[in-house]
Amino acid sequence: MHFKLTEEQSLVKETVRAFAENVLAPTAKERDEQDRFDRELMFDKLGELGLTGIVFPEQYGGAGADYMTYAIAIEELSRVCASTGVTLSAHLSLGANAVYLFGTEEQKQKFLIPMAEGSKLGAFGLTESTAGSDAGGTRATARLDGDEWILNGTKIFCTNGKEADIYIVFARSDRDAEKHHGISAYIVEKGTPGFSFGKKEEKMGIRSSATYELVFEDCRIARENLLGDEGKGFKIAMKILDGGRIGIASQALGIAQGAFDLAAAYSRERKQFDQAIGSFQGVSFMLADMLTQIEASRLLVYKAAYLASAGHPYSMESAMAKLHASETAMQVTTRAVQIFGGYGYTREFPVERMMRDAKITEIYEGTSEVQRLVIGAAIARR
Amino acid sequence: MKILVCIKQVPDMESKFKVNPEGTWYDNVDLAWRMNEYDEYAVEQAVQLKGQVGDADLTVFSIGPNRVKETMKKALAMGCDHGVHVADDDSYQKDPFQIASIIAGFAKDKGFDLIFTGMQSQDRGSAQVGVLVAELLNLPCISTIVDFAYLDGKVSVKRELEGGGRALVSCNAPVLVTCQLGLNVPRYPTLPNIMKAKKKEILSIEVAELLNVTARQETSKLYFPEKKGGGLVLEGDAGDLADQLIKILRDKTSVLA
Repeated sequence: MHFKLTEEQSLVKETVRAFAENVLAPTAKERDEQDRFDRELMFDKLGELGLTGIVFPEQYGGAGADYMTYAIAIEELSRVCASTGVTLSAHLSLGANAVYLFGTEEQKQKFLIPMAEGSKLGAFGLTESTAGSDAGGTRATARLDGDEWILNGTKIFCTNGKEADIYIVFARSDRDAEKHHGISAYIVEKGTPGFSFGKKEEKMGIRSSATYELVFEDCRIARENLLGDEGKGFKIAMKILDGGRIGIASQALGIAQGAFDLAAAYSRERKQFDQAIGSFQGVSFMLADMLTQIEASRLLVYKAAYLASAGHPYSMESAMAKLHASETAMQVTTRAVQIFGGYGYTREFPVERMMRDAKITEIYEGTSEVQRLVIGAAIARR
Repeated sequence: MKILVCIKQVPDMESKFKVNPEGTWYDNVDLAWRMNEYDEYAVEQAVQLKGQVGDADLTVFSIGPNRVKETMKKALAMGCDHGVHVADDDSYQKDPFQIASIIAGFAKDKGFDLIFTGMQSQDRGSAQVGVLVAELLNLPCISTIVDFAYLDGKVSVKRELEGGGRALVSCNAPVLVTCQLGLNVPRYPTLPNIMKAKKKEILSIEVAELLNVTARQETSKLYFPEKKGGGLVLEGDAGDLADQLIKILRDKTSVLA
């Protein structure tokens, strides 16, 4: 056991940090204010760097790297722009990973390779108005008609919605089956007749990330676009979300680290009563607690990433990582605003954006309550 | 074509520097290390040249303790073919002539057509190494280049001069050039190339095998200048203040020529 990044991982960290600071940071504030997704900056350029398929084998257009590298990349992007972090996380660990883990060879050739190479953006449509934490409540339907599936229903809160090219969509294919059975997963391409986009969400944070409603009205897709076995959609979704949690945990970690770095630097510069405020115990203890929590989150994230790469079970560990990192992000960003004082509450400094961005990490891809449920269930099984 | 690019690992310039206990250099504990900025331009230009001529062998060369290999990995991930590392824990104590002698000692019988170095290092900043290497190898040297072109064995560059001037210089290869800010925008290594760099070879050579000269200069003391006072406060009425300010700007700066 060791706690040092490999040379490759260090170089990825340095490279993605430089990219984020030079390319993403200059427009992060403006994109947040304008609620604007910028595909070139937030996806195409990641593809050029080879980040859009980090964990997939080279034969499928990926870089053949491990989940640690993935976690490091998402952290460094999110340290500067959490919207870019979630764009990549949803694309890679939800959209592309679903095809990688459950797709047929033909599906991988057709859909995974362009996603991993960065020419097509992926998305994942599971949540519905009646099916949030309870994915078994899925109401969208899929009906086989000859060689085609006909999809009907509405998906909400879809990250990368409207911007993405390939969507993994869950719908009930067997109305008579019990709640968690009878759901299947499908691959739907943008532009398919009957597939349109509803309202764009006006969000508190991660405003530069696109979040849309997906609408299916007698949307016909080829029979071979069924992903995995018919009726196994719930299991597929849960398996995918296990990996997705590593992405969101890394995003939360990056937000926290970004806010901490700014607050620590400010505490050394800002003088009150003729002293740098960081020399006051009230501020220095706050910073000490912030960094300790961040470091603990990072170890949890790295452990979950290690387990995922080594092929061990990691459902509980990724839930712990996501729970701890997201709650840390909320606490750390709130304290960063406190350290910046009145300035922290203004849009002039990025910490207020980071505080708004942090909140969602406690909610999406499994709320903190659901993470506790996952961890609790794992304890009960022992 | 054979190309050599020489790089140095330097501390992140955002670091908080402290003087070492001997008082002769900065303390090198708790520092984050990077590729010298000017050497990044050198690597980028060398990689571009390799891309242009196609059939080229590009070696990246660095001197220092084991950790410099991490920086060499970046150069390999940017597109260098293989590395040569001269192992030397005390490289920071060597003077520019010794460093240049080590590089020349390696390069002398290798037949490099082009040698790229940074214009200077960000830490020592002597701006001597590249020029000395050229001299020791009996090669022409063009320093401080901000534009580079190569065609049919001939190098054409733009040099940056003091005062904002530019000079166009051309020269037949083999030649050594030292690279200045503005020459190019160094690429980010891509993840697949970072993974491939893992398999690229870095040859290690002990410094004693290449170094056979003694230092010609010695840094006797390194220190931070005392902090200056809190600026100059002008007094008087508005007209007076304006006159005083104009006089200062004229005498002490080039703002008002």
